[in-house]
Amino acid sequence: MGEVIIDIRNVYKKFGDRQILSGVDLQVYKGETLVIMGGSGCGKSTLLRHMTGAIKPDTGSVYMRGQDMGELNEDGLDALRKKFGMLFQSAALFDSLNVRDNVCMPLREHTKLDESIMKIMVKMKLELVGLRGFENLMPAQLSGGMKKRVGLARAIAMDPEIIFYDEPTTGLDPIVASVIDKLILDLSNKLSITSIVVTHDMNSVFRIADRIAMLHEGRILQVGTKDEIRNTDNPLVKQFINGESEGPINFFMDSEGYLEELTK
Amino acid sequence: MQIKVEEKNGIKVCSAEGDIDINSSPQVKKAFDKLVQARSEKVVINLQKVAYIDSSGLATLVEILKNFKNAGGKLKLCSLSNKVKSLFEITKLEKLFDIKDSEDEALQTF
Repeated sequence: MGEVIIDIRNVYKKFGDRQILSGVDLQVYKGETLVIMGGSGCGKSTLLRHMTGAIKPDTGSVYMRGQDMGELNEDGLDALRKKFGMLFQSAALFDSLNVRDNVCMPLREHTKLDESIMKIMVKMKLELVGLRGFENLMPAQLSGGMKKRVGLARAIAMDPEIIFYDEPTTGLDPIVASVIDKLILDLSNKLSITSIVVTHDMNSVFRIADRIAMLHEGRILQVGTKDEIRNTDNPLVKQFINGESEGPINFFMDSEGYLEELTK
Repeated sequence: MQIKVEEKNGIKVCSAEGDIDINSSPQVKKAFDKLVQARSEKVVINLQKVAYIDSSGLATLVEILKNFKNAGGKLKLCSLSNKVKSLFEITKLEKLFDIKDSEDEALQTF
């Protein structure tokens, strides 16, 4: 399988009384595209935020390249963060900056490169996402898919080794979603980037994944290749990939509890 | 990053050693700015000992090429490793630069 680049060991996390992650073990290998799938509220984004060092586990550890992220101070985390890019669900562009300045942002923040060099780099990145020539447009002038592509160009501005994608195709029409998936694949292959994608878009999962991890109620139910997940014996995984409302995953609370609560 | 400059038959041959990345790109640009200012007309950059060029390095080479062209000079690259060559291909820069397999070939084709 190659070198383990991120190693998540027995991670537990609680927000208030709610247990979000309950003993997650997961390894990410260099160069692979790992998709973490699961229903809304299963802990996917929380797990992703542990991998980026945005939050620390209550117990357990997250190692990036052998380094325990929990033991790093802010400077150490900053140095590590330069090695990865992130594409947010909303693309998270700065509305007051044009496309060029949005993509340039990490370069201005972390490097001392000349403005002329940064301009060339931005053109190269926009070419990779098919948006060269759009440098002067403002985010408000872009469609949802174009915003995601600008977000992707910004995520690769610093030549990251790892890109984290949080619901990259949510809210996009099927054609634009497949364009984004193709870009994720292209970047992984061409630039040998390790990709970690959090999504519940099943089409996307089976288009881009090398391996799939199914998260449910804060636990990893199964990790496997596309075929292993498609042919799973696990009834929870089966229900999820087939999008069935009836099955072992409960979508509704007990109705008696509801009546009790109303009269409490 | 080290850049050794030699003159061969009136052509400046610059042999780079080390990675050309975000840390070393500004130094590379400075070294070549000097050659542009000195009105060097024929320049070869030998990349044999460069294992990796990141996108800031590629952008720096584009800027250097632009500066030489504007000053009426000619620039060739030579001896790229397969990995470095593939980086030029991914970014479609292989058509922008005059890239030769060897230093001899680069010198002979001026």
